[in-house]
Amino acid sequence: MSSRAIVRYLQQNKALVLLLLAIGIGVTALTSVAFFVDRVDRALLLQGAALMAADLVIEQSGEVTPQWQERAEQLDLQYSYQVSFPSVIFHNDAPVLVQVKAVDENYPLRGTLKVSAGQDQVDTGPEREQAYGSQTLFGALGLDQQGRQIPLGNLVLTLAGRVNHEPDIGGSLFQFAPRLMINYQDALESGLLTAASRARYRFLLAGPADKIGQYRRWVEARLPPGSRIMSVENARPEMRLALERGRRFLDLAALCASLLAGIAIMLSARQYVNQATDAVAVMRTLGMTGGQALYHHFRELLGTVLLGAALGVGAGYLGQEILYLLVGDWFGEQLPPPGLRSIGLGFSYALILLLFSLPALMRIRQISPLRVLRRDLGSADASTLVSWLVAAGAFSLLVIWQVEDQSLALIMLSMVAGVVLVSIGLGWLLLLLIRPYKGRGGSLGIGVAALTRNTGLTLWQIMGFTMGITMLLLLALVRTDLLETWHDSLPARAPNHFLINVQPAEKADLQRWLESKQIPNSGMYATVRGRLTHIRGKSVDPSDYQEERARRLVSREFSLGFSNTLQTDNEIVSGAPWKPGVFPQGGFSVEVKLAERLGIKPGDSLTFNVAGQPLNAEIVNLRTVSWDSFNVNFFVQGNASLKSGLPTAYITSLYLDENSRAALVRKLASDYPAASLLDVRPMIDRIRQVMDKGAMAVESVFLFTLLAAVLVTLSAVQISRAERAREIAILRSLGASRQLVMSNMLIEFGLIGLISGGLGALLANITGQIIAHRLFDLASGFNMVLWITGLAGGALGMIVVGYFAMRSLLNTSPMHVLQSR
Amino acid sequence: METENLISATSVTKAIQAPDGTLLRILRGVDLNVNSGEAVALLGASGSGKSTLLGLLAGLDQPSAGEILLLGEKMAGLDEDECARLRLGRVGFVFQSFQLLPGMTALENVALPLKMAKVRGFKNQASQLLAEVGLSERSDHLPIQLSGGEQQRVALARAFAGDPSVLFADEPTGNLDPKTGGQIIDLLFALRDRCGTALILVTHDEVLAGRCDKVFRLEDGKLRQAS
Repeated sequence: MSSRAIVRYLQQNKALVLLLLAIGIGVTALTSVAFFVDRVDRALLLQGAALMAADLVIEQSGEVTPQWQERAEQLDLQYSYQVSFPSVIFHNDAPVLVQVKAVDENYPLRGTLKVSAGQDQVDTGPEREQAYGSQTLFGALGLDQQGRQIPLGNLVLTLAGRVNHEPDIGGSLFQFAPRLMINYQDALESGLLTAASRARYRFLLAGPADKIGQYRRWVEARLPPGSRIMSVENARPEMRLALERGRRFLDLAALCASLLAGIAIMLSARQYVNQATDAVAVMRTLGMTGGQALYHHFRELLGTVLLGAALGVGAGYLGQEILYLLVGDWFGEQLPPPGLRSIGLGFSYALILLLFSLPALMRIRQISPLRVLRRDLGSADASTLVSWLVAAGAFSLLVIWQVEDQSLALIMLSMVAGVVLVSIGLGWLLLLLIRPYKGRGGSLGIGVAALTRNTGLTLWQIMGFTMGITMLLLLALVRTDLLETWHDSLPARAPNHFLINVQPAEKADLQRWLESKQIPNSGMYATVRGRLTHIRGKSVDPSDYQEERARRLVSREFSLGFSNTLQTDNEIVSGAPWKPGVFPQGGFSVEVKLAERLGIKPGDSLTFNVAGQPLNAEIVNLRTVSWDSFNVNFFVQGNASLKSGLPTAYITSLYLDENSRAALVRKLASDYPAASLLDVRPMIDRIRQVMDKGAMAVESVFLFTLLAAVLVTLSAVQISRAERAREIAILRSLGASRQLVMSNMLIEFGLIGLISGGLGALLANITGQIIAHRLFDLASGFNMVLWITGLAGGALGMIVVGYFAMRSLLNTSPMHVLQSR
Repeated sequence: METENLISATSVTKAIQAPDGTLLRILRGVDLNVNSGEAVALLGASGSGKSTLLGLLAGLDQPSAGEILLLGEKMAGLDEDECARLRLGRVGFVFQSFQLLPGMTALENVALPLKMAKVRGFKNQASQLLAEVGLSERSDHLPIQLSGGEQQRVALARAFAGDPSVLFADEPTGNLDPKTGGQIIDLLFALRDRCGTALILVTHDEVLAGRCDKVFRLEDGKLRQAS
């Protein structure tokens, strides 16, 4: 067919244009969402990686296994060596405990190191015989200048710089000692790395995700005991939560857009088949078989789908570029370009979307040639079960493809099934209820009559509208909850420093001082380190656990906290409340995920070895912890009396501005030299940045779903266009004014919108609660605003869309419409 | 020319279920034979079942009882696709509402049955037929750009494409003014004479019926020969 013929054909076949648009916009939404999500996702992972200085880190107690490097070179990955260990340096003959971190010349692989060396700014690790100190080290040594010589083991190092920013601030927040960064080779020659030294060796890797994945699988099978792998996902709990929630939302939004595009295609394919019915009937009288008619139209649809996909992929690419222009800035240079994969993906999406048209298309086989003589035969019979199953399969395929998370996929599939069943069931019931108003005069009577004239068609429309409204409300709901939770979890005055190693004798005085200066803090908690030795009286062996994380947990020391009050962000999920009367013999409160991992529950006894003494008590309750709150929190907390006789120190986290920080530093230096202050502002800033960017991405992806929902609404309005055109022509020929016809129509659309809006609010509320609770750990209850938005938005939205879609019908001469039949 | 029996209907009955559940008998034991080259008119009031009978004879629908042979083949037991294959290239139709395919030009509409029957040089044949109905210059026009009379002429050209053995015409002038209708009928009979096609013409126009070889009247579901 020539391009002129295609244009002419499309002009004559409006349903095909609609289908082309549906596919085009569907694929546009899908590809731009998928690719923007992919870009954002990769950017978020990169930012996560920056907090680890690598994409993957292997940590082990012995020297890095030589094969690690060989394999990394084979896969063309970047790598870097690191080792950290505690040591002591002498300052004015007094020992100062430091945490040494030795890095090689490749450090850091991700993120940036910022060091002031004299007048210069440096971004690489120290050279041989040089060292950089952290802010706290300079404080502990009472230094304000660089250039000093420091003896360390066999070495004498020059303190050549001050670390202002370090991407990986140690493996944990609770490594309190001042930090000294040295050269990796120096560390190996220092004589300090013996079998007895508590050194942790790290092998850092960075490279393309697939190769990192490949490497990870390879190395996992070969890890020696006592080693562990850290990737962005398990790098930091507080970071992981933000990333996971963001990712899940983007997944959810992309999925909603895909499903809506599918519905739009289903609706417009139905319209396409309705329009083709007369032509098929004629061709069948001329001798065409049902199969040939089906083949002919399938080919036509396939052509349309491919054309739509091509347009959609192009527009999708532009769409994500526009998104990038809008918010790319927020991601700095870290937003990687979209891959060519988008083209293949767009076409594959389009072909899956084609399956959505099957229920409608299969009806073509059943169109009777007798229709040429008897128009009252109507269109073909209902679609076959098989074609509906195929469309349902297409839905499931899309959902499973789009969402890695199986429980999210299951919830979404149930929701779609729910929308179909509820909108058809309840919609039918509501139509039955409003039927008595049909006889009433005025526009309402005619509007209701119009709704009930073709129940099947009305139910299709209600289903389409309900699906659109449900998805929009659902996303709006989760989005609001998500953004609020992100915002609340890091309030403006979230603790930004940890104050550690406060001696028991100093606690009361320091607390009074903090109060007098009105410095907000998350409470003083006694803490001590201890190793878990017995559960329920039975000694603990890491080999009892299958899971690697569980094995690691029981082989390491815990930071135990002691207090008769729980942190404000904690919530008890099982067991007794946390108050002194409940634990006369002492008791533990355990973080719920740790308890699950170790298979322990309230009533079980735990024994820790603390500085050679056993510490035993029963678990009183399990609780959740907001790790992203930056409050002082512990996996295992004992009641206050349990700590008696133990060598505890106190810890708190506080919010400090520049003035109070300076005052506290002075106070610590003069009165409490043992205590130290740990600055976590860079980490908080980074998390806040990620959340802000996530919020922007969330909003922009939401826009696409909105577009897809508008498309569904348009397609659903269009399926009644032919019927409406004939009805308007008849009403107009009988003398009805344009105003009357318009108000009838708007009342009809308003009623459909009201029904769909109500059903949508109901379904979104239910699904939203499940999703918020199960996937995002957010609380969400009955939402009045949602219902009001659903009902009012549904009715108004439908009236507006209906008005613009049907306006042209009012301007057409009734004679023309009647003749064209 | 040797005559051949093209359509044979014996004791054909058609009954449908009315919305109130009662059985509505539209045709009661209809017998009809049509030979090659013969023109047969079916007269009757609106709702008398003329179009129903036409649909049965053309194999568009199945009778409730009785037997129909089209082009020598028993229609009973044939499914819709088998009926369609039987019609392909051998049966033509003209409808009251023209039934041209809106997305195709006049020429493409005429060429459609030839193309479906895989006739070689279908484009040339279709052009000739369009010339025969006087519409050579409108061959690129879409149905919507043609008047009612012109659309029906295209439909006639399409009906005679491939020299069918039988042509079914359902009220072909029903949507046209008397003058245009007269022209269409003249054209219809001229084409029939040239091709020697048998014609089954459903009409309520006595004058038009008079131009046929045989006239049958359908009343109370029964068919009686009027002339």
